[in-house]
Amino acid sequence: MAAYLLWPTDVPDDLKLPSVDENHLFDAALLDETEDFERFLRWNDIASNLVLLAVLALFAWRGWRFARESAAGRIGTGMLLGMIGLALVWIAQLPFAMADIWWQKRHDIVTAGYLEWALENWLVLGAEFLFICLWLLITMALAAPLRDRWWLAAAPVFAALALLLAFLTPYLVPDQHDPDPSLAADGKRIAHQTGLDDVELKVQEIGDLTEAPNAFAAGLGPSRRVVLWDTLLEPPFDRDEVRVVIAHEYGHHESQHIWKGLAWYALISLPLLFVVARVARRWGGLYQPRAVPVALLTLVAASLLLQPFDNLITRRMEMEADWVALETTKDPGAARELFEEFADTALQDPDPPEWAHLWFDTHPSIVDRIAEATAWENLRHP
Amino acid sequence: MISPHPVRLAVEDDLKRSRLTVFFRLLLAIPHYVWALLWSILMFFVTIVNWVVTLIAGRLPGGLHNLTAAYVRYLTQLFAYLSLAANPYPMFTGTDRYPIDLEIESPAPQRRLITLFRFPLAIPALVFEAVFLASYAGGSYSSGEGEHGYAGATTSSIGIVWTLAFFAWFACLALGRMPMGFRNLQAYGLRFGAQAWAYFLLLTDRYPNLDPADPPSTGPLHPVGLAVADDLRRSRLTVFFRLLLTLPHLIWLLLWGIAASLASILGWFAALVLGRLPTPLHRFLSAYLRYTTHVGAFVLLTANPFPGFTGTPGRYPLDPELPEPERQNRLVTLFRLFLAIPAFAVSSSLFTLALVAGFFGWFVALALGRMPRSFREAQAYALRYYVQTSAYFWLLTSRYPYSGPSLGQPEPETEPELAPAPAELAV
Repeated sequence: MAAYLLWPTDVPDDLKLPSVDENHLFDAALLDETEDFERFLRWNDIASNLVLLAVLALFAWRGWRFARESAAGRIGTGMLLGMIGLALVWIAQLPFAMADIWWQKRHDIVTAGYLEWALENWLVLGAEFLFICLWLLITMALAAPLRDRWWLAAAPVFAALALLLAFLTPYLVPDQHDPDPSLAADGKRIAHQTGLDDVELKVQEIGDLTEAPNAFAAGLGPSRRVVLWDTLLEPPFDRDEVRVVIAHEYGHHESQHIWKGLAWYALISLPLLFVVARVARRWGGLYQPRAVPVALLTLVAASLLLQPFDNLITRRMEMEADWVALETTKDPGAARELFEEFADTALQDPDPPEWAHLWFDTHPSIVDRIAEATAWENLRHP
Repeated sequence: MISPHPVRLAVEDDLKRSRLTVFFRLLLAIPHYVWALLWSILMFFVTIVNWVVTLIAGRLPGGLHNLTAAYVRYLTQLFAYLSLAANPYPMFTGTDRYPIDLEIESPAPQRRLITLFRFPLAIPALVFEAVFLASYAGGSYSSGEGEHGYAGATTSSIGIVWTLAFFAWFACLALGRMPMGFRNLQAYGLRFGAQAWAYFLLLTDRYPNLDPADPPSTGPLHPVGLAVADDLRRSRLTVFFRLLLTLPHLIWLLLWGIAASLASILGWFAALVLGRLPTPLHRFLSAYLRYTTHVGAFVLLTANPFPGFTGTPGRYPLDPELPEPERQNRLVTLFRLFLAIPAFAVSSSLFTLALVAGFFGWFVALALGRMPRSFREAQAYALRYYVQTSAYFWLLTSRYPYSGPSLGQPEPETEPELAPAPAELAV
């Protein structure tokens, strides 16, 4: 029922996307380069995930032995096991992460140095450690009174935490500043058109780390804002294209995508946690620290299996935000040019293989987005 | 059975200090600064000769050995004098017969491979030596970005021996004697420094020993101690990720620390009124102190297991031993914050030692799966002093922390300054 309510978007159901031939839009050399670029990243990602599962399977089998390294109680030992599991995963995935960064540097997408990247990678691991500790603190604490039914109480707790995180995210983004007056005026105009006058526009300084263009909508209620990466404010992107990006991000807020994302999360986490609880029960349930390694494996494996479904949801939201942007700017030409430039600046494959699109892509393909702009134009200005 | 280190410290100091020479100590030593500088310049060249000769001959010839030994002995005596660890004005020749003196064994064969790489191998020892004996303070300032721009930086580093000397200066002027704990800790630092110099200058190929209880020495009883039941084994995986694994504890420490700060303020008022710390507050602050010690031991690699979050006694290989609530002098309680300042300064210096031992210990534990015993002992000593300082500050005990490396022996019945014979301590 909830999924049925969350599924519809503002994009007309009967919208027919015209066929777009990527060979007419991009030269062959660029298509080869984008295909080559994404192919490496995809296979690297697949290999990394396979190693991830293998390491976690090994850890589920033997990892509980690390409990002897703990003088902490039940929950503390569970936390240690969770962190050790992530540490092993980090070690195993490090070569793939390095290959990823090497490939992106080779194609001038990432400009950050290896040392900078390593430090950030290390800090991210620290954040993951804290996350898994919090996760285990909640689940193992609930498992004491509720035993195998902890998941019933844990799902709303995690949803509340996700809500809190979504609210706080805009304040956690570093290096934000106000846009220049002319961009701020564009932002205000679009905010007014979408009925979101109270949502701020910010620019994030990120050009030292990457050349890739990006923007995002974040926050809930009073913390809502739209953040543009400064890489979007450089050529080849012109002001019309930037306006499309701003309108797209305001479209996310207008369509309540962050709320809907949270609702989807709450909806999915319930069966996900149920599966974790069922599997962990065979190892004494999450009340016991020895069940932590297998719970970690189940959680990660189930999340990987759900990835295509997650991507499907986000792709629908992105499609809807594009639609709102077209309705707001009424400039399908600028939208098409913007999407075409993504292929050049971010080396996005305009039309990836279907399996890869389903498994990896959180956004519609470039050809689909161009087709949507053309479909909007055909609908509104036949 | 490990033979004694060929460079040993002999302490025959009666703790008495002349107030006049203490007051002018730094100025009185001016001739020694000049002499030490000249001798050090000479030793720069002698060390190169020592290295070449030891590489070829496999041992240091008697003449060079005696010259180098005299230099190391002289530096030790001079530093003892400057730091107030000893009272008499030292000789300029590095001969023995000083209250804090070195026993240096005759030349012995040295392994050529170790001699070849002596200088890089000495780096960790010299870093530890700096923790004990360094004294540097400096700064740089510059303005930038126009007339309103300003940038500045200061750095300072002061070793454990000099931190103690600073507070000892006031104590000696007031009492005419050196606190025994201070002197014994300084003797530990001077002993390690002498061993590090001896290693670097090719007097011996035996690495300096960081163990504060080598050889075992005496000290007074103290109601606050630290029980050590660690087997030195370390899990390489948890060693590698030790800092990150500590993150949840750091958050919990922060939260608990806020409550503990409020409890300590409340306890201070209660102790002023009641003359003792109420039992619930004593229990709460004891648990927090135990917890901070467990986490400290974990992050510094002093112990191996992941600690619990509750500070439960008897659950960790390094566990503070804390006394029951006791009556306390209200006047001492009133000024407890100020009285604890020297102890905090010493504790902070010792923490640097524990930190450096943790840093080098990280590499060793990763390679061997074990923590060197001497590192663990030095860290345990630093942690014990931290526990005593915190227990004193938080009113868990009225007994001032004892800074010497060893505890456990009954205190002498007579005051040390009245003792007819010099106190003897082998450090």
